[in-house]
Formats: sequence, C-alpha cells, structure tokens
Amino acid sequence: MTANSSSNHDNDSRPGNDRRLLIRYGALTFFLFVPLLISFAFVRNLYPIAASTMMMAGGDLEGGRTYYVLRGETSKGEIIDLPPMDITNALSGRTWSLVAATVANRGFTNSRPHPANLALIASSGGLDKVPPAARLNELLRAWGNIHNSRLSPSSPRYLRAVRLEAFRWEGGSYGNYDRHVQTWRVEL
Amino acid sequence: MESRALRKLVPTDAKALGMIRAAICGFVCCEILLTDFVDLGRLPVTVMRLSGTMKLLPWRLYDALITPNGMLTFKALLLISMLAATAGYLTSATTKAAALLFLFYQGLLRSFGHFNHDEMPLAYILIVLAFTPCADAFSLDSLWRRARTRVGDVVYGYPILLMRSLVGWSYFTSAIIKLRVSGLGYVSPDNLPTLSIMHSLDNLHDTHFKFAFWLPQVRGASTIMVVIVLLWELAFPLAIFSKTARRIILPLGVIFHLATLLLMNLFFPYHLAAYAVFVDWPRVWTRFSGSRLFQRASSPLKKRESLAQTAS
Repeated sequence: MTANSSSNHDNDSRPGNDRRLLIRYGALTFFLFVPLLISFAFVRNLYPIAASTMMMAGGDLEGGRTYYVLRGETSKGEIIDLPPMDITNALSGRTWSLVAATVANRGFTNSRPHPANLALIASSGGLDKVPPAARLNELLRAWGNIHNSRLSPSSPRYLRAVRLEAFRWEGGSYGNYDRHVQTWRVEL
Repeated sequence: MESRALRKLVPTDAKALGMIRAAICGFVCCEILLTDFVDLGRLPVTVMRLSGTMKLLPWRLYDALITPNGMLTFKALLLISMLAATAGYLTSATTKAAALLFLFYQGLLRSFGHFNHDEMPLAYILIVLAFTPCADAFSLDSLWRRARTRVGDVVYGYPILLMRSLVGWSYFTSAIIKLRVSGLGYVSPDNLPTLSIMHSLDNLHDTHFKFAFWLPQVRGASTIMVVIVLLWELAFPLAIFSKTARRIILPLGVIFHLATLLLMNLFFPYHLAAYAVFVDWPRVWTRFSGSRLFQRASSPLKKRESLAQTAS
C-alpha cells in the first residue's frame, strides 16, 4: 500500500493550498488545546474533553472503602463468581463504577435522568423517596440473562439467581478487608 | 513550507503520517472486533448517566440504540469506517466518520461507567487524522486515485507533532493535577498500597491480580515508586522533542502500564497504542526490510519471481 510520494504523484505546493492548510492546522490546534487547557485549569471533565483526573486524590488509608462482588446461584444451588467483564466486555475498566453508581441511585441525581427514572421520582413522591438501588435489579437480571443465554439450560453453570454482595474495608489498617454489608438477590 | 526545526523533531514525509493512520486505526479495529456490542445492548438504559455533550442527544436515540440490534448495527458502522480508514480508502470521509463514531461510542461507554482518560488521546489523534492529508501515501487512495502529494515539512510533520503533543499533554497534566489536588501528600507511603488494594478487592475489575496485598510490606519503597512515576509523567513531553528521551520514557511507560495492571487491575491499552505516534514507521520498515531475517524469509519469493521472469 505504499506509494512514492515525491515521484509517482503530482506535487501540490501552491501558496493558496499552503495557506489553507496552515489555517486548518491552526484551527485544529486551537479547537483541541483550548478546551483541554480550560478542562485542566478547572480540573473538570466534560465529555469529550478530558482532564487527566484518574488517581488524582490518592489513596487514604483511614477512609475505608465499600466494594462489590457479583455472584451467581446455579440451578444446583452452587455459588459461583460472575465477573461482569466476562459478560459485557465493552464496559472494560468501567463496571466497578457502574455498579457503585447504580447502588447509589446516581442515575436519578444527575442533571438529565432517563424519562423512566423521572417517572419513578414522580411516582415515589420525590427524589429522596426513590427506593435504594432502584435500578440494580434490572442490571443484575440483565447480566444473569446474558450469562444464561450463552449456556444450555442443562449446563452446571446455568443460573437461577444473581446476587450482588457489598463488603466494606473499614480502613485504618491493612487487614479486615471483608466485613459483609448487604446482599441483593434477583431470581432469573 | 519547509521547516528544518520540524524535520529534526518528527518524520515529515507522507508515508510516516499514512503509517501512523494505519497503525492507530488498525488498533481500534482490533479492539472493536474483540468487543461484544450485542451484550452491551442488553443492559438497561435506565442505569446510564449521560456524560458531557452526550446530554445534547435525546433519550429516544439511546432507547433505540441500546438494544442488541441497535448495537450490532452501530458496531458494523464503526467497524466499516475504521477498516476503511485503516486501509486509507475514501480516507477524507472515512477518517471523519471513524473519529465521530468512535467519539460517540466512548461517550456511550462513559455514560454507563465513569469518565477516565484512557481512550481520549487516541480519540483526539483520530480527530487530527480526520483533518490532515494522512492518505497521501500508504493508502489505497494513493494507489488507486493518484492522489496529489504536497511538498514541505509542515504538511505531514505538523500533524505528527500535534499528535505527539496530545499524548504528552495527557501524562504531563496527569502529574500536575495530582500535585494540585493532593499536594505533597500524594507521595505518602500509604497512597500506592491503599489505592492498589481498593482496586483489588472486588471482582468487577477486568483482571483480578492480588499483588496489591503485598505492597504494605514495602510501604516505604512505595513512596519512591510514586515519586518516580510523577517525575516520569512530568518528563513525558521531552519524548516529543528528543530521541534519547523517547528511548527512556516510552519503555518506562510500558512498564508503568503493566505495573498498574498487576497492582491495581487497571490497564490503559489505548494510551499504549498511542505511542505509535512516536515511532518513525518508514525508518522501522526500512530497517526491518534490510534485516537478515526479512531477507531470508523473502528469498524464496524472490527466487520464484526471478524464475517466473526467466520462464516468460
């Protein structure tokens, strides 16, 4: 797929073209770097403009952390690990924040919720009355159904339920990582 | 538009820019091929939190798109445009379509999860490629359409410099923001062990390495590791200007991203792929084609060709 650029083709070096290209490159640089500079100055992400904010706060040993483990119950009652990365690999690197946000009902508190979420807020009598983790069951059911859709019903890994377990590392020391907090369970 | 300074910094020929286009778009193609879009379309739309400019589009669009059929169609469109951009076919249109669809796709993913910056330098590189003459060589367009090539260092050199600057910006600002937000507390001996353990407790990350739990034993050394990473990020822009710096900074980058994978279960493959803009591909190709290995591998082919010529 190579082509000898200087010998095989007509060279195009007219001053008008040069000027147009320079203007285009100037505009490209401006429209890429000015938003990036603003985003950097305010340490604020506004898609598609990214401030490199990953890990900016550092780790706080005293802070503690709640984390989640996704598991499935097979038809024989066995509990198996169900890493979401194996189910929806498109969400590579993002599943942990999806689960935490769904548990915290953040789909209801952002500036433009889905119309179905707005309807639920209205029918619940306000944002603070929305049931906790209101959309979590839908998410767990979707993951369970995707997992089952790849298996025959006779498979030993075929699931009858999906559960999400919340654990807490209280922090303060490097130990006691797994105090159980809560379990959500959805029948498939 | 000659520029001796630019020629010293970056390759300035059409083939270099064309090869970068093929490498970057080719990488994205492979990623898309390996990603299951249909299963993403089975997730409930109600868990999405639209991010940034994604809010400008109506929810009806997302309701229609986040379905198995919708996502399959979207994958096909993204793949076709990205494949055409890789091959350099109808490049002016396909690079623009590929950049736009990739930006939309990444916005979609961020609306499910969180806004990380892994794919963003590569998205910006796609935008640069969409508005520069990246198909004047090493493309089907240049083979079939006798495309005009331009003279001057700026034409092909400046886009490469711009792409390198975008990658350098990502690392450099990452270090500055860490220091702005956390101050010198960022080099606390508990920072790295705590962050790493936080990301190693669940089963929601892509990998499940447990090396993080070994870090508290080397707590003191972890400060040195964090300082080295900060200095490396601050020094990254040097890779734009100096070949010697590139030889140190880019391999360190590979080690850094592998270390975050093993210690934090976080991996930035798109950042690593963006290192392709620092490679002088025509020179690599010349060296490779001149190597003994290549000569040996291609000698049977050459013999066959000469035999065929003799016979005819």
